[in-house]
Amino acid sequence: MIRLQARPLETLEDAYDLLQTAIGVEFGTLPPYLYALFSIPPGKNPAAGARIRSVMLQEMVHMCLACNILNALGGSPKLTPPTYPGPLPGDIGPHGTPLDIHLLPLSRDAMKQAMNIEEPEKVPDFPILQASLAAGPQAMTIGQFYTMLDAYLATLPPAAWHVDRNQITDSQFFAGQIFAVNSYADANLAITQIISEGEGAPDNPLDFQNDIAHFYRFGEVFYDRVLTKAPGTETGYTWGPEPLGVDWDAVYAAISDPAEHDFSHDPPEAQAAQAACDAAYAEMVDELQRAISGEPGRMGNAAQAMFDLRMAMLVAFRSPLADPTKVSGPTFLYKPTTEGAVL
Amino acid sequence: MSVLETPHILFRGKVAWDPITTNNYSTMYDEATASWAQIPAETAQGFRDEAIAAVENGNWNPGGTHRSSFFDTQISGVDTGGGVATVDPFVGAPVGFQGMLVDCEPYGAFSSQLFFDTLSLGIAGGCRIYAPRTTRFTARYINFRRNGANRMIAGVASVIWQTCFAKTDGLEIDAFDSPALQALATAIEDPDVLGLTVRWNSYFTVYYDDPTLGDASDPVKQKQRQAASAAELQAKLRGGGFQPNPARSDVVGVVGLWRTGEPIHEPGDRALLSSEGATAFGTAFARIDGDTLTLDLGNSVSEIDQALTKQDLGPIDVVALDSDGKDLATLGSLTYADYDQAAYESASGLVTLKLDPAAAKIAADADLCLRQGNGTVLATEAALRAVPLTPNLYLDQGDTTTAVAQVYSRGVPVGAGVPVTIAASASSVTVTSVSETDANGQVSFDVIGSQGQVNGFVFVPGADAVVPVGGIDPQVTTYMYARTLPDNGLDQAPATWANVYNQVLINWYAMAPCMDNWLRLDDPAQVHAYGPMLKTLTDPANFEMFRYMPVVRDMTADSRRLLYRFLDGPAPGAMKVAAMATLSAEPEHEPTNAELSRAMRGN
Repeated sequence: MIRLQARPLETLEDAYDLLQTAIGVEFGTLPPYLYALFSIPPGKNPAAGARIRSVMLQEMVHMCLACNILNALGGSPKLTPPTYPGPLPGDIGPHGTPLDIHLLPLSRDAMKQAMNIEEPEKVPDFPILQASLAAGPQAMTIGQFYTMLDAYLATLPPAAWHVDRNQITDSQFFAGQIFAVNSYADANLAITQIISEGEGAPDNPLDFQNDIAHFYRFGEVFYDRVLTKAPGTETGYTWGPEPLGVDWDAVYAAISDPAEHDFSHDPPEAQAAQAACDAAYAEMVDELQRAISGEPGRMGNAAQAMFDLRMAMLVAFRSPLADPTKVSGPTFLYKPTTEGAVL
Repeated sequence: MSVLETPHILFRGKVAWDPITTNNYSTMYDEATASWAQIPAETAQGFRDEAIAAVENGNWNPGGTHRSSFFDTQISGVDTGGGVATVDPFVGAPVGFQGMLVDCEPYGAFSSQLFFDTLSLGIAGGCRIYAPRTTRFTARYINFRRNGANRMIAGVASVIWQTCFAKTDGLEIDAFDSPALQALATAIEDPDVLGLTVRWNSYFTVYYDDPTLGDASDPVKQKQRQAASAAELQAKLRGGGFQPNPARSDVVGVVGLWRTGEPIHEPGDRALLSSEGATAFGTAFARIDGDTLTLDLGNSVSEIDQALTKQDLGPIDVVALDSDGKDLATLGSLTYADYDQAAYESASGLVTLKLDPAAAKIAADADLCLRQGNGTVLATEAALRAVPLTPNLYLDQGDTTTAVAQVYSRGVPVGAGVPVTIAASASSVTVTSVSETDANGQVSFDVIGSQGQVNGFVFVPGADAVVPVGGIDPQVTTYMYARTLPDNGLDQAPATWANVYNQVLINWYAMAPCMDNWLRLDDPAQVHAYGPMLKTLTDPANFEMFRYMPVVRDMTADSRRLLYRFLDGPAPGAMKVAAMATLSAEPEHEPTNAELSRAMRGN
């Protein structure tokens, strides 16, 4: 379970730190989700793939919205790709032990990990958390984290918001999902969207648009059951009875945590595939960084790099390693080899 | 019958349009040869550069994908016979749709289609209508007078989209605790019901994500703003990457029963055709069930501003006329509150009136008319309509296809012996012929693919038919398009990479930079490696699929054969285009519909 460290939130700099952590978390979820998604061979596991893909796309939206908020407050968002296995930025875990995030091919373990990342707190306890902040760091869910941030942002004067500063909008991608943040009202809307899509409502798995929140989408894959409305029952929903149709065997035989694998002994094709992944990933990160730093047009270049990464991943997941029964997806290690790297 | 019957489901939201627009221009694309307007020695990159340069002349999306998706779209209401209700559990459910926007006639705006795989209203595990495609969505009745306050490209226009989903194609209704879906699920069990009809209206199209670009109150400033937006897009495109520039429209829609005999691709109830005149009012549709008259004004009442305030036409009387145009009965009257913006968005433009039983009986065989209080006629019924079964037809040169039109009288299929004049029409009528309906009320005729071209056909049913001299008027005439893809003589060409690239693939490599996102069409190794997938995606058997290639469906048969010969062979080893014409000044005369259609595309 991901638990972020709550810190006193009294100044704009505190808010910058919190938002930077949020951006890191949103970005950091992408590689594990991508790894699971592209471990599915084309044409296999369509329902599972669709659910993972939909979450992954929304995490990208959330990252952009968090960047918009930070930019609107005068901050400078920075993408810092995590390494895997390793914790997401800011994670202190529910009991003081951060959750190491692994790169796993589609499996129950991968879905359980994803559910852990997205797991909501069933009873929001923001007022208690705020009262206890002075007593020292507290652990909270991503949703609570955003809720605390929202409460602080509500106290800021209108002058704190920089209009049209380095904003990413939906003019090219993610129609209806990404919007400029120019005021607290916009920030509140963005935070509501992020919390809702990630965790759903406290007693309801649906988000603000009546679609299924992330935790439950992964749950559908994990349980191999469609989350099904059950009118008149206490919980209102059941897992199934209709199966989602997950075929756990219809997955590439990919190793886990490729960053811990030594590729130097693998066939040239596998090494070349890894190099292509690395290059595309680095370019994607660099272009995203430019996009959130005042060059919104570079989002199109980041999108192109994402497509390149997708093609490279397709090759990597089909390139046998020295153990010919195994393949590997990308390591998602950021290697700033591209020209114009900004990190 | 139809979506005007209850129960029906209403939805509202937005749609993003992301077509590649470069093939809309005769200077950039030749729809007869189905190829880019190539000049010898021209390079594909040179063509791409020209396409970007043409942005300032109206080519608003050279980096598009054709993908068109609903967003922010939800079930907005239901009607089980007691009026629009919003308390049903189905209300608020998301509506998911993604299609490929393709014009059968690339230069014009009358023949748009959306190729797709599924439409989903609601989500799996909840209240839902899951609708796998039976056939594509088709656009008809484009209304160029819909919103004069949004003057940019097609921003003034609205259009009706429709298709049907057969029960036999996997249609599912998961009703759960939704009374409306329960009613729909029950109604669909009727053997006379073939499935569901989905009709929606798109309007208030905004380009460059900037509604102010359509504000013509200060034409000089408007041009400056538009030029600045174009320059900004050009800068993005020249900066590389994937740079789509989708437009967006508002959407209202309705889902209802599809009964035997009803047309798939366009409304089939009683058609109240738009009157020529000063008042902007688009064609409407009507249906009488017992003592209930339902009007579909989804494409009819224009907006007067960008806030989408509906034009106040005052009270609108619904009148039954005799064959001489004299009043037989006044069936009822609409107040502004019945058709204003709130009403429109609540009921997707459907308006219901209760009729006096005697008046309803009169109306059954009379022409319906919508008339303002001051006597201005807004729309009058044309009893006979001939609706093509294949509104947008594709064929290869050398093929002959029989096209069929179903003739209706006041929304009901006619029997034998009704004459129908069929006029071949593009910008003007060239050839006419007359056929009579068979026992099923259908007329058929041969479409001969003699050469690469796009033809329009207008259908005018009834004796003494008068074919509009201007050809297709999408508000008044029913019509179909037929696109013949040419034989470019490639069957004798050796299956070399040079031939495959220069004669076939370069068309889409140049025209569709988005292809680079997954396959470099200029890379023989990649193309050959993806041979099996390419053959699947270009297989004519998959023509209706969302992912069919090429998306614009203009690969000629001999091009396909040449490509396949290359793909089946051994793996390979390792200018300038005609300048984009500046948009001509608006014609001084009242533009014809054909001119309006092409003017939107800069032709």
